Amino acid sequence: MEPHAVPGESPVCACCAEPAVVYQPVIRRYLCGTHLVRDVEERVRTTILETGQIHAGDRVAVGLSGGKDSTALLVILSRLLPTLPGASFVAITVDEGIAGYRADTMRAAKSLTQRLGVDHRIVTFRALIGDDLDTLLIGRETHACTICGILRKKALADAARAAGATSIATGHNLDDEAQSVLMNAFRGDLPRLVRTTGTGTSETFLPRIKPLMAIPEKEIASYLFVQDLFSVLPECPYTKYALRAEVRALLSDYECHHPGTMQHLIESKKTIEQYCAGTPVMEPLHRCRECGDPCSGDLCQVCRLRHSLGK
Amino acid sequence: MKVILPDQGIRVMEHCPGTVGALLHEIGANPLEVIVSRNGKLVPEEATIGRDDEIRIIRIAHGG
Ligand SMILES: [Zn+2]
Ligand SMILES: [Zn+2]
Ligand SMILES: [Zn+2]
Repeated sequence: MEPHAVPGESPVCACCAEPAVVYQPVIRRYLCGTHLVRDVEERVRTTILETGQIHAGDRVAVGLSGGKDSTALLVILSRLLPTLPGASFVAITVDEGIAGYRADTMRAAKSLTQRLGVDHRIVTFRALIGDDLDTLLIGRETHACTICGILRKKALADAARAAGATSIATGHNLDDEAQSVLMNAFRGDLPRLVRTTGTGTSETFLPRIKPLMAIPEKEIASYLFVQDLFSVLPECPYTKYALRAEVRALLSDYECHHPGTMQHLIESKKTIEQYCAGTPVMEPLHRCRECGDPCSGDLCQVCRLRHSLGK
Repeated sequence: MKVILPDQGIRVMEHCPGTVGALLHEIGANPLEVIVSRNGKLVPEEATIGRDDEIRIIRIAHGG
């Protein structure tokens, strides 16, 4: 018998007996809208404090695609701001140039930052590399996510630095994190997990933080829906080429039948990190011979990509 | 019972599956990839469905 679930009746909140809007299967708890909002914000605050993600005086660049995760991130950070003394935010939207997808999310990002009164910067792939993503990808569609990812990371980092930011926050949620662990395992590259968590050793390398990493994707969508902040937006047309899309479907299916699977994957990652603590897993940092950005080899990923695209 | 599907399609169902979870199972939707409202209010999978309810199934787009 599940808590608060009576056959033939809709379940109620574990905190106040209002009708439930979500069920948290891992801790077997139902929550109403009010308590879900409170719980999500509290968990994000705990993540930020426990992992030391935001300090007094930080200027955090929030990557705002306009989709659900980054929308929730900016809303939550704005509300937590009074509890983060001396911190400030700037939202940055990268316009990749994806027809039929970007216009709606861009509109959503603009209206959100206006409503929250957050400084908003927009950067484009066209300004970064001279073309829209759609043009760059002609004949290379199957590599869409790799190419886009490299350029988006660079555009975001440049814009963050230009805005005087001291760190970059992204909307990656618990599902994203669990997918990454599994994808790295599938590719035979588990060490990458530990390598990418390095917070940077160079003055030009901004730390990246993920305040939503403990929140399941469904709870983020629910958090927005109960506050009338959820909008149905188009999905990126290139996701169908991504390994991540397959891993996402596989993992949601598995999580559904075995609640806690995603959490276990993340715990495995933390365990690996603990084993590696004190061991130098960061590759020695070089500087790119063309652009001077920190990188692990002779040329950075962006410059290598520029060459292969003939830019 | 009226069901609004993720693609905005509308399906009127003669029989009632009983709960949101049973409905999702019947139409082959993964509960983790959608959120569901009953008469405009968000509900969990265990929520019951009545004959006169309007159920909306919203896909959670990946990313963002
Ligand atoms: Zn409650
Ligand atoms: Zn370079
Ligand atoms: Zn996601």
